[in-house]
Amino acid sequence: MRRLVSLVLSAVAAAMLSSGALSAEAVKIGVVLSLSGPAAVFGIPERDAIQAAMEKLKADGKLKRGIELVVYDDKTNPTEATRMVTQAINNDKAVAIIGPGTGGNILAAGPLALRMQVPLLGPAGTMAITDRKNEFYPWVFRVAPSDRVDVKVILEDMAKSKAKKIGVFFQEDAYGKTGVDFAKEIGPALGMEVVETVSAPYAATDLTAQATRLRNAGVDAVFLQVSISSLGASFVKAAKQVGLTAPAYTNAGLAQRSFAESVGSDVDGLRVLSIGNLPYDPSEGEAELAKLLKQAGKVPQGWGELVGTNGLMTVVAAVNAQGDKEITGTSMRDAIEGLCGYQAFARGKPCFSKDSHDGWAEDSLVITELRNKELRTMR
Amino acid sequence: MYVLTEYVVRGVQAGSIYGLLALPMSLLFATAGTIDFAVGAYALLAAAVATIVAGPLGIAFGLAAAITAAAAMGGIFLILARTGTKDHIVFALASFGLAVAIASYILWQFGTQAFVRASFSRFWSLGGIRISPQGVINLGLGVLVTLLLYLLLYWSDLGRMMRAAAANPRGAELAGIPVARIQFGTYLAGGLLGGLAGIMILYSAGLDFTASLSLTLSGFGAAIIFGIASPLRCLVGGIAMGVAEALAAGYTSGMVTAMVPFLFVLIVLSLSNIRGGAMAGDRP
Repeated sequence: MRRLVSLVLSAVAAAMLSSGALSAEAVKIGVVLSLSGPAAVFGIPERDAIQAAMEKLKADGKLKRGIELVVYDDKTNPTEATRMVTQAINNDKAVAIIGPGTGGNILAAGPLALRMQVPLLGPAGTMAITDRKNEFYPWVFRVAPSDRVDVKVILEDMAKSKAKKIGVFFQEDAYGKTGVDFAKEIGPALGMEVVETVSAPYAATDLTAQATRLRNAGVDAVFLQVSISSLGASFVKAAKQVGLTAPAYTNAGLAQRSFAESVGSDVDGLRVLSIGNLPYDPSEGEAELAKLLKQAGKVPQGWGELVGTNGLMTVVAAVNAQGDKEITGTSMRDAIEGLCGYQAFARGKPCFSKDSHDGWAEDSLVITELRNKELRTMR
Repeated sequence: MYVLTEYVVRGVQAGSIYGLLALPMSLLFATAGTIDFAVGAYALLAAAVATIVAGPLGIAFGLAAAITAAAAMGGIFLILARTGTKDHIVFALASFGLAVAIASYILWQFGTQAFVRASFSRFWSLGGIRISPQGVINLGLGVLVTLLLYLLLYWSDLGRMMRAAAANPRGAELAGIPVARIQFGTYLAGGLLGGLAGIMILYSAGLDFTASLSLTLSGFGAAIIFGIASPLRCLVGGIAMGVAEALAAGYTSGMVTAMVPFLFVLIVLSLSNIRGGAMAGDRP
């Protein structure tokens, strides 16, 4: 009898110890972002903000479980992205990945997320990453507004000024073409029609012919679907030269401090869609993040920091929601699908569900206008 | 007709920059029988440096940076030549490698920012067509530099020595012509011209780190279309490409626009082959 009691007590003690060890062990989260290569302009601010916010969450005791971040560089390269995601999951036992950094990289890592049963939180607008037709759909979440939402917000703002005829200038790649297709699709519902489209390759040295064509079409507003900052600046200069006076709007790719500060007064008046407005007109949450960044010796750049922390805050909310339960990739996926209205630095109400893996919507976006090297919020 | 004329005028303005990029290729081909594919990179480097250094001094620093990069290419050329490399394609490939290195350096140092400078806020009217004074400066500079180079190549002793160095390097050396120095100097001149083109683009449309290869290809297209060995033909080739590009942007749609100028080059080269090399690719 005494032996039985001793065995039971030992088993209970072992169970308590193992439970304690479980909750003491930090949950590993992979942060796979583009820290070098062309997308580093977004990736580095994303990483800096995640690290600054993490320190603050720890200091404020807002983590119910220990969380450890392991940071990797996907080098803006799909092959590297899959390699780094594999490393984070296999070597570091990460149960969720914030990243990879670009739409293409997320699509490349999607099948891996499905195979390893670990969710990806993608900071990209590319529609395809959360397409329900993807076999890996259950494992990929978007922590930024989608490209479609971006275009809709721009066209809605144009509609307010009674614009009817829209001209589109787009860069010659999949991103540019997608924007044109969305504008043609969304426009009619808002009483607008895309009457002319023109395009240019990345390194075009003159866009006056394109601007002339839009001017000749008599457009009321121009939508620039570009992510190459020099193309955006070049088009606005060309429009002024040929006498195209319709207001020009561009997508969020250019909502960066580096763009605002590098272009001259020629580009003043350009309206730029932005996820929040961290550097110039921050909301309360954004101002808090800007303060954290400054304390960490960083200068707020744009929306990169906001989508980065969207990923972090989603992970933290999912971990906190699980209490002391054992956390796996599957449990993280299930927890994220149940999150709605949790705290984040970006404006807007984040909400995920089983049927919608797009967490951020129109309420996280603002239209800004470029004036004197600053992007000032208009709405 | 008015619309067509406007596109042609805009194409001529844009084409002068292609002509400026084609000139270094012509010059080097005339003296060393090879091509410098780093010309676009010199233009990019000049624009990047001129962006970070304020005022007119920025232009000087930008040009100096382009010439320094071209000097590095000239050094590579001389080393390869002295170690027995005779195949001209090796020099061309080396310049391509340098171009990639320069573009990577720009990305590393300056990121993906746009290199754009404000130019004129008032425009001239030419028969109702609004013209930027900057475009006129670009065209004027392109014509001036082309004429100077033409005179240098075909009406000066230095030009004769330069052409002799390309036609028969060994014979030129035996005749006392400093072939290596001439070829190195030609690379430096290429850096200056590429840098000038970069500064013109900086004040016109602007560019970023991705521009290097595309500028080189545009310059190369302009150089070969009517004959690479003559500066005058390079300028005409550049303007023809600019006009083709403007007309494509004005009258075609979608992804076809970018294809048209190079299609135009292909057609001209093909037609000239049919006519027995009368127009393109031949040496005058």
